[in-house]
Amino acid sequence: MEHVLGDKRSVAILVGPALLVYTLVMLVPIIWSLGYTAFEGNAVTGFSFVGMDNLTQLAGDRKVREALGFTLRYAAVITVGQVLLGYGLALLYVFVLRRYSSVVRTLVFFPIVLPTVAVALLFQQMFAIAPRDGLVNSFLNVFGIESVDWFGSGGTSFLVIAIMDIWRSMGFYGVLLYAGLVDIPEEVLESARVDGTRGWKLVRHIVLPLSLPVLVSAIIFSINGTLKVFDSILALTGGGPGTATTPLTIHMFQTSFAYGQYGYGSSIAFLLTLLCLIVTVFIFRASRRDLTKG
Amino acid sequence: MARSRRTARTSAGVAGLSMALIAACGGGDGATGGSGEFDVLIHVENTDVPAVLETLAGGACAAESEAAPVTVETVPQTNLDQQLQLLAGQDGLPVLYAAGNAPALTQTLAESGHVLDFEQALSELDAIEHIQPAAVSTIEALYGGFNALPLEYNIEGIWYNTALFDEHGVSVPATWDDLVAAAKTFAEAGVVPFSASGDQGWPITRLIGNYIFRSIGPDALQRVADGEAELTDPEYVEAAQAVADLGEAGYFGRGVGSIDMDTSTNEFLNGNAAMYYMGSWALSDFADEERNAIGAENIAFMPFPDVAGGAGHSGQLAANVGLPLTMNDRKYDDDASAWLSCIAENYGSTALEERSRISGFAVNTPVDDVPPLAQQVQEQIEATDETVLWFEALFSTEATITSQTNAAPLVTGSISAEEFMRLVQDDLD
Amino acid sequence: MTTVELHTTHGRVGGGRQQRRGARRWRQRFKRWPAHLLVTLLLVVVCYPMVWLLLGSFKTQREFLENSVVALPEQWNFDNYVEAWTTGNFSQYFLNSVTAVGPALLVMLLLGTAAGFALEVLVWKGRNAVLLIFLVGIMVPIQMILLPLFTVYFQTGLTGTLWPLIITYTATGLPLTVFLMATFYRAVPREVFEASTIDGAGIVRSFFSIGLPMMRNALFTVGLVQFFFFWNDLLIALTFTNSGSLRTIQVGLLNFSGQYGTTQYGPLFAAISLNIFGMLVIYLVLNQKVQKGLTAGSVKG
Repeated sequence: MEHVLGDKRSVAILVGPALLVYTLVMLVPIIWSLGYTAFEGNAVTGFSFVGMDNLTQLAGDRKVREALGFTLRYAAVITVGQVLLGYGLALLYVFVLRRYSSVVRTLVFFPIVLPTVAVALLFQQMFAIAPRDGLVNSFLNVFGIESVDWFGSGGTSFLVIAIMDIWRSMGFYGVLLYAGLVDIPEEVLESARVDGTRGWKLVRHIVLPLSLPVLVSAIIFSINGTLKVFDSILALTGGGPGTATTPLTIHMFQTSFAYGQYGYGSSIAFLLTLLCLIVTVFIFRASRRDLTKG
Repeated sequence: MARSRRTARTSAGVAGLSMALIAACGGGDGATGGSGEFDVLIHVENTDVPAVLETLAGGACAAESEAAPVTVETVPQTNLDQQLQLLAGQDGLPVLYAAGNAPALTQTLAESGHVLDFEQALSELDAIEHIQPAAVSTIEALYGGFNALPLEYNIEGIWYNTALFDEHGVSVPATWDDLVAAAKTFAEAGVVPFSASGDQGWPITRLIGNYIFRSIGPDALQRVADGEAELTDPEYVEAAQAVADLGEAGYFGRGVGSIDMDTSTNEFLNGNAAMYYMGSWALSDFADEERNAIGAENIAFMPFPDVAGGAGHSGQLAANVGLPLTMNDRKYDDDASAWLSCIAENYGSTALEERSRISGFAVNTPVDDVPPLAQQVQEQIEATDETVLWFEALFSTEATITSQTNAAPLVTGSISAEEFMRLVQDDLD
Repeated sequence: MTTVELHTTHGRVGGGRQQRRGARRWRQRFKRWPAHLLVTLLLVVVCYPMVWLLLGSFKTQREFLENSVVALPEQWNFDNYVEAWTTGNFSQYFLNSVTAVGPALLVMLLLGTAAGFALEVLVWKGRNAVLLIFLVGIMVPIQMILLPLFTVYFQTGLTGTLWPLIITYTATGLPLTVFLMATFYRAVPREVFEASTIDGAGIVRSFFSIGLPMMRNALFTVGLVQFFFFWNDLLIALTFTNSGSLRTIQVGLLNFSGQYGTTQYGPLFAAISLNIFGMLVIYLVLNQKVQKGLTAGSVKG
């Protein structure tokens, strides 16, 4: 069969344009930027060669370590939250709401459309303590719980960030995963039910394996998004209090453009890229194995 | 002055060549006398400068505008430094541009030949007398040279609510100890002593800086910049500790870390807070009758008080030039110098008349009905011969951000005064 | 066994026996109330903030800072909207956003789907290597390519147009599109394409006649995802728009922050509301279309 679906010219026609655009606009600049990791300086002052200094500095940099820790924590929590809730929503759409799900789908999807700046503002107000209690603290006070200064400490700030980002994106993942669930043939489900498989067992043994490819892409997609989080944290906490909620991306952006250390900033970006690569390949590998078994 | 690093709430860049010779081939547009345009890049948050330039173009500077019309481009302040770096890297900076959030960046730009030497340029235009000496000294202290235009000039100090002071029998504090005692009185009476934005951070670190200038002396932070002293030295830590103590006693009110700029202004203008450390740019808020519930007549200004036994005194007023604009040496041609001359002569009076904005330029055309508070500020400026900067003025951008983001943790007790100073010093080393 | 009814996509109730049907309906209702409660709660959690945004767009700065967060506005006038429209210059920004996002989206989808098809369906040496190269693009933070891109755009004289946005969006969206489309093609049995090529149609033709149409659903999903990424992008738009006339909507929203860290809440909320409810309308219209497409020409099989 190889000769049928292996025509080199066709491959070139189909892959060529995408690869060309991608190479020129992304790959070349990436390599260009990687080159900067061996230099220090910025666009204004010019660059000077420092060899491996940036990378050795990276290893002992407390700020980078903290930012890396935050990035990992954030990615783990948000990815799990997004994908789990999204999957729950998708199941709800397909098995409970069915044909009536389109309105709910639309509404729950909608927060992803809102500008990040607006959503952050909204959550700042909802979790406010000063000058007066916001929605959440008022609610807590009703139950006799003291108001919390949500943005006053790293832990509670992180909680607000997590709530905000999961609120924003769960509907989006719901739709993404829904597309995968809708494609499960009705006959398969029907025959499983005839065998008496229902509810949780049906999901566990039939639905989950069949929707695995889409689920894996959703996880890869999510983890790459969360490792590279930028806008939402910048808008909500600015990385504060102190640097308690500063992820690698914000630290990198500041290093490059605010502190004018472009070479060092590129080194931080390199670290982040490496991190994404390892995680993705790991998930990708795991899923490929599953698929060949399935 | 360093301000928020947050995004828009939301709410989130550069030599002294002898320009007379260079002017002719300024922007690389060949040997014409001018490029025929006067392009300006400014942060979108600053609405005063474009408005005043427009007025000048239609009036006092009509001839200059004819030769080179003003085109204004804006960029969000959080993105300003990035844009300046990118443009400078491509030699694409306009004639007149906002100098950058970080004084350090302006110096970098100056070193690479993107900044005009105003001392020389204005002297050649015989326009140097239009600049107030206090403003020049502030700029020189900040940038190490006359590298920016004082399109605004602000003094900083503590604004206080006279009605609340009378009501609680508090007299104007002369020393830091008096200030703390006054705060205690207010706190016990259920009034928030100080309204400050911990979200921005700088209104709090300003207090640390002022304390240092009063206790150690006006050159205290220059010594840190020169490496002769460290912020972790006990006399410096004392200042951070003094401010942390205010926080610990609850004198900034509740949730100070979450209070944004607007909220802190309103706390003061609603009469909930007795004192408010801020620059004189706040005058426009005070003049806004919609916002000001306590009335401008009930607001007064005091310089930051003395620290007992300190080497500095309250006559050394804290001052800044806002986020100043500077000119691009590489594009300084005949058109640009004509504009500069006209701005130097007319900007001061136009800004005062139109926007009630006090600048570092002489007011050459008398302006009527200046509000009393603005008059008070002007008198303060005229009476001042020595000014000091602010805590982060001479820091690198990195140390500035570290200082401002850790201000709230300092006053809420999450980090100690020693830790705070250590974090900032680490970024200076 | 009656609950089987609940799980069939086209739950047609068996004809005839009225009595049993009534009883069953009761039982069904009873069984379904937790689901209803869940959905209601979900909708409150999702919708309330948006309602709050809308209410906020009628408030004055004073109300924002002094009244309770949950209070209704004291007046119902459109001052903020007028302010937003005049300060905001939003018609221009909207046009810019559409001009930048539209072409980028179409080109990206076409190129990405073709590449995804070739990577998953066709058999050739180096497939996995190319897929991995595309994967790298998903992982690299965009911040990293800003400086080189800015240099290139500036030197080629593209700054001052919307081209940098269009080009950057197209390229940055490609890796994910390629990856997702490849995932979707993985689910399709190869025989479908093998049969069509044996029929004599060239591979490229069979891609356009079979491969592309069969992915309508997936294309819509991926297109939607990418659309909102581009539409809400701030970083790229901030870096490459150097003039007021080129601002996208998101950059325009930054106009409502004043000097010294203040924010004009009312006009900002009004601008956001315009932005959001405009989007809602567009989305609803599109959604209707998609629902139709879904039910009419189901892609399954």
